[in-house]
Amino acid sequence: MTTTLQDSPIDLLAIREIFNRQNIMLCFNGPVTAPLIEEIGAALRKHMEGLQESPSAVSDVFSVYIEMAQNIRRYAQGQAFENDASTILISRDESSHYVISASNIVHHNDGQALVERIQQLAHLDKEALKAAFKTQLRQPRSTLSGSAGLGLIDMARKAAAPLQYFLQTLDNGRALFSLRVIL
Amino acid sequence: MDNLVIDQSPSSPAIMADWNAGVIRMKGDSYPENSFELFQPLIDWVEAYLAKAGRPLQLELELVYLNTSSIRSMMDIFDQMESAHKKGQTVSARWIYEAANERVGQLAEEFCEDCSFPFSIEVKR
Repeated sequence: MTTTLQDSPIDLLAIREIFNRQNIMLCFNGPVTAPLIEEIGAALRKHMEGLQESPSAVSDVFSVYIEMAQNIRRYAQGQAFENDASTILISRDESSHYVISASNIVHHNDGQALVERIQQLAHLDKEALKAAFKTQLRQPRSTLSGSAGLGLIDMARKAAAPLQYFLQTLDNGRALFSLRVIL
Repeated sequence: MDNLVIDQSPSSPAIMADWNAGVIRMKGDSYPENSFELFQPLIDWVEAYLAKAGRPLQLELELVYLNTSSIRSMMDIFDQMESAHKKGQTVSARWIYEAANERVGQLAEEFCEDCSFPFSIEVKR
């Protein structure tokens, strides 16, 4: 007896269909590690260069991807969420803007704090975001916990629209935090 | 004091700090996960050089893409140079980039805005 792909409990064809319909260029789902971040980043750059994208577009997509992935990894390490799956997606919307989306497991309180920070950034125009970036750039090292605290501001500076977020409550005080950046 | 040499990797730049020549060269991408750890030896080297060498310091950059924690580390180095400059020491920086990579030029400009020592930004020919 032969088994065909259609008998598989995982419907790969349906997943592919979703990827195609949503214009997803690249997707990762699983625990994020430092070597994976680098490898996926390298593949992303190469793929975009192959599409004859401008160096600025490649740089912006790469940069938002790196900031998101490294933020997720740093947080997961600090909170012992390292073995939980995170999702990172790079796609294009109907008007051909690049969209970088990611979601990861957080403590609900931390997720709430992130949401507040993103809401504050949403009120700032490009000049105010630049000023916020420079202020954060000069925070004393002693107040930083291994992170420069610049990632979200940098994403907001590059984005064509305010950052979009979603916080979904899970059990045990956890939540799924999702972030979407449209370039 | 010794020279400082850090080899290039896909996510971290080549760093070469030459004590006798008073020149630091950095080249490549910089987006390591642990930027603060990567840059600390260079920050320490610059501090020692500016305190003891009694000679000018020239920073030669061909950095391409920097993640935000690398940007923070570079700013710490520019700040060290800025305070040496304000004390009358001779320091300068030159950032060379390829014309197509506009984002690098914009980043260099933003650093330059906060430095009063000679800082040139040049397109590679």
